[in-house]
Amino acid sequence: MLLFRSEEWIDKWCKRSNLKRGEVLTITQVWELTKLWYHDRLSLDYHGRTVAQAEEIFKRAGLTSAFWYI
Amino acid sequence: MNNSLLWQVRAFVYRHFAETTYAPSIEDTGRHVNIKLEEAGTLYKELHKRHVFFLEPETLTIRMANPFSGIPTDFRVHANGKTYFANCAWDMLGIPAALHTDAIIEAVCAESNDAVQLEIKNSQVTNSDLLIHLPLPFARWYDDMVFT
Repeated sequence: MLLFRSEEWIDKWCKRSNLKRGEVLTITQVWELTKLWYHDRLSLDYHGRTVAQAEEIFKRAGLTSAFWYI
Repeated sequence: MNNSLLWQVRAFVYRHFAETTYAPSIEDTGRHVNIKLEEAGTLYKELHKRHVFFLEPETLTIRMANPFSGIPTDFRVHANGKTYFANCAWDMLGIPAALHTDAIIEAVCAESNDAVQLEIKNSQVTNSDLLIHLPLPFARWYDDMVFT
């Protein structure tokens, strides 16, 4: 998961790496997602999460494309 | 498998990262949890298997306890008077999220190699024109965590 300054740089990276373009999110979208994903990571009660729980977080973050679901 | 010990080990590893910025050695962990190295190794391997953290291949060295990186990377997170390394662009934001703190983040555009800086302040992120590219769908994230 890499950082880019613009769409143009993503396209160049994909071409150079011979990889298809995946999902692109703004830094603000990822910040909102990471707050949901990591807010409890240091808690003693955190024992991992199931695929269903992960998908629920994606849903809460407004990520609805097939990219986010198994 | 002693589940209580397993989660004690997880808690210690994460607390160690948060407090020191780096991974504890297997010896540190064994000493802290008061178990023999062999048992600590078994618990490390089980936590790796469960994707709780990730070991370097064929070792008991922690490479990743997301969002923390056990090795230096291009994603530096300055928070609470310390400098942490994150595994990727997602995790550079994950560190202040996990620590519940403001942060200044220094990173690099993966293609232009330009240095970029952003800040987390009062739960808001600056430099909002930056983008993060996720090459693999969620279903494939754990196939190869280093690539992901």
